[in-house]
Amino acid sequence: MTAPAPPAPGPRRAEPSAPARQVRIAPFVPDQRQQATHAAPIRTRRSLTGAGTPGVLRLLLTDLVAACVVWGALSAWTVGRHASAASEVVAASEPLSLAAQQMYQSLSDADVTATTAILVGPPESLTARLRFDGDIANAATDLARLRSASAGSSDSVITADLTAVSTGLPVYSQYVQEALNWDTNGLPLTAGSSMQAASDVMHVTLLPAANAIYVRQSAALTAASAQATGLPWIVVTVLLAVAIGYVLLRSQRWLTRRTHRRINPGLLVATAAVLISTIWLVAVFLSVRSDFNKGLGHGSTPAEELAQSVIAAQQARGDQVLNVISRTGSTSFSADFTAETQKIGPRPGSLLTTARASSTGVGAAEAVAAASAATAWYSVSAQVFQLDNAHQYAAEIARVIGTGPGSSEPGFTTLVAHLRRGIDADQAVFKSNAASGSGAFGGLEIGVIIATLLIATGSAWSLSRRLAEYR
Amino acid sequence: MAFRNRSLLAVSAAILALVAACSGSSRQGSGSAGGASGPIVTLSGPGAGTVPRSPAPGTATITETGSSLLFPAFSLWATSYQATYHNVTVRVASTSSGTGIDDASKGSVDIGASDAFLSSGNLVQHPDLLNIPLAISAQQVNYNLPTVPLAKHLRLDGQILAEIYDGTITRWNDGRIKGLNPQISLPNISIVPLHRAESSGDTFLFTSYLSAKTSPTNVQWSKNIGYGTSVAWPAHVGAAPPQQGNSGIEADCASTVGCIAYIGISYLHKATTDGLGYAALANRSGRFLLPTEAAGVAAAVKPFVPDIPANEAISMVNGPAANGYPIVNFEYAIVPGHFANPTTARDVKAFLHWVITTGNAPKYLGGDIMFQPLPAEVAYLADLQIARIK
Repeated sequence: MTAPAPPAPGPRRAEPSAPARQVRIAPFVPDQRQQATHAAPIRTRRSLTGAGTPGVLRLLLTDLVAACVVWGALSAWTVGRHASAASEVVAASEPLSLAAQQMYQSLSDADVTATTAILVGPPESLTARLRFDGDIANAATDLARLRSASAGSSDSVITADLTAVSTGLPVYSQYVQEALNWDTNGLPLTAGSSMQAASDVMHVTLLPAANAIYVRQSAALTAASAQATGLPWIVVTVLLAVAIGYVLLRSQRWLTRRTHRRINPGLLVATAAVLISTIWLVAVFLSVRSDFNKGLGHGSTPAEELAQSVIAAQQARGDQVLNVISRTGSTSFSADFTAETQKIGPRPGSLLTTARASSTGVGAAEAVAAASAATAWYSVSAQVFQLDNAHQYAAEIARVIGTGPGSSEPGFTTLVAHLRRGIDADQAVFKSNAASGSGAFGGLEIGVIIATLLIATGSAWSLSRRLAEYR
Repeated sequence: MAFRNRSLLAVSAAILALVAACSGSSRQGSGSAGGASGPIVTLSGPGAGTVPRSPAPGTATITETGSSLLFPAFSLWATSYQATYHNVTVRVASTSSGTGIDDASKGSVDIGASDAFLSSGNLVQHPDLLNIPLAISAQQVNYNLPTVPLAKHLRLDGQILAEIYDGTITRWNDGRIKGLNPQISLPNISIVPLHRAESSGDTFLFTSYLSAKTSPTNVQWSKNIGYGTSVAWPAHVGAAPPQQGNSGIEADCASTVGCIAYIGISYLHKATTDGLGYAALANRSGRFLLPTEAAGVAAAVKPFVPDIPANEAISMVNGPAANGYPIVNFEYAIVPGHFANPTTARDVKAFLHWVITTGNAPKYLGGDIMFQPLPAEVAYLADLQIARIK
């Protein structure tokens, strides 16, 4: 005869055939549960143990569901935030940065075109007129777009810069028109002075404001990209998921020991949901981060460097052209020309060198071609300021705006053409990567919400079933 | 403290500008503010602000250097201003327009005097600088021909002058000069064309006249030599030793028989005293006018007034006025838009306002100086610029 087995730990099953005397012994159990419930606000491991299995189950149920809800909300918010930032980069920040860059280039090109037209003499060529009008129209379109995007913005600096451009542009256009009128009426010197007044508005007001707008839009693009790929919240989300997964696994192990049930389907589903959603979250985020970093590193950054090169090249070209008109013996144009060309490169550390290092494919090839074109342009331009210093104005004009051999104009045009093609190629790299990154978030937010429901429901269902066995 | 003062000034200026706007002032409508009563003139429009009509209490010194042409006028203005405001001393110096611009840029003087407006290069490098017109000047073309009576004035035009300076005409009795001056007996002596040594507003004005495309010769001049504060003079002009300042070129011409030179109008009295004649120059309409005809100088400016830009930089050489003298210009004060000391800013503003109002009276601009007063619209624009000084 064998001794009766000791009662198994775990839930007491209601046995209809059990003797009534045994049932009467039970009143202590509800009391223990009650004690555990009353002790909840100051729970300790000891008190939990003291509360018994139902207490632990109830605690697991409430805490897991609460953690799950918190995780779901945090995940959805984080995914939404990153997706929104990625979408903002693709749909708003990048186009606005491009608009600001185009506005600067249009303004600068308009000034060089108008000044050249005055130098060449009346009547201005149809090509020059169309180019000038096109530049002003493009600048106005980009300005309207930027103003519309900043409407209601609390950024007073960008608002002030946009106002400076919108109030200065008509003044500039008026002075240019007066210059052309004087030129047509046979007063080239007065035309020159009016053009100088126009250029002063351009160089003292419009271009600095346009550059400031571009710098801020570019910074906004970088900030939006950083927000789309930023680490802190995604790390918190993943850590919380790991913690929930850990609790789920421990719970299953504990329940297996207590109930001899090897499988708790609800908890198993919840664990799988945590695992799958976390892997999905991490994979998407790493993919987005990789795409954006690639887009920024090989697209946006070199594009911005090439855009800065265009701006510097136009500034240097403006120095050449304005110097022909001003003829005061001032060396400021010459000094500025040198400073701008040093900025462009291709010396080590210059814009072209860094752009070439980070560009890929067509962008890199155009940066290399731009470097060669820049060197050739500097070589032709070297004599321009020497001629000015020697007061050889006719030869200087031929070098600056002439069409014959030795003119610096074709070299400048070639340089800017390479730079613009490079910018287009680099921006295409950025756009492609940013769009791919942004698209990767598709469905993740819904997926996280579904996973949350599965985890919460699975946990609650499984644990409440076990808890019910104690009633 | 400085920031607080600037903020206070800006707020005050804004309030005053608003009051002015409400009272119906307009950009060009109210003309010179000189007639307004009260200690401060309030202006509206670009850079709206205030212009004090008197210096701050306490001893102060305003320093000026630059154009030798402006020097006699500045000397007179300084003396008279000090007589009115005993606490203010105005120190003036005759150097050159280039020095005036450079020193004002560096802040080593309060006011730079210049015959030429600031170039784009100056403004790009020093965007804070303002060029404020103070008066209208004219340039004379002088010659040393003892056999020609001073009462008679040679007639010269842009083409003849270009041909003299490019070496095509080398003797005074050349047929082309005689063609313009049939009533005058011209000597058979060599022409000695003189020019300024330093970067000069006078050279800018004179070569601008030669570059005005009124004849094929002038077109060639414009193409080959052009205009500037310095130009590459043809070899035979470059052979003559260049002279420093208006006084230098006037003295050189006075001692060189057969010379021809371009000199600022303020030196006319000195030139005639030294026996130099001055020419009647042809304008675009072919009319010959003397620089001493006030009406001709004022008329030359008139067509440009409606189109003068806010920074008042405009070339008026060989303008469209049928009865206008061909070589006229504004004389400018070059001043920074911001002074380190607000009291100095106030004193400079008060002085400049005084110059373009009280200082533009015939008592100051007449006599030997021979400048013409600014038109009311130009003085108003000048006051707008003065109001921007902080």
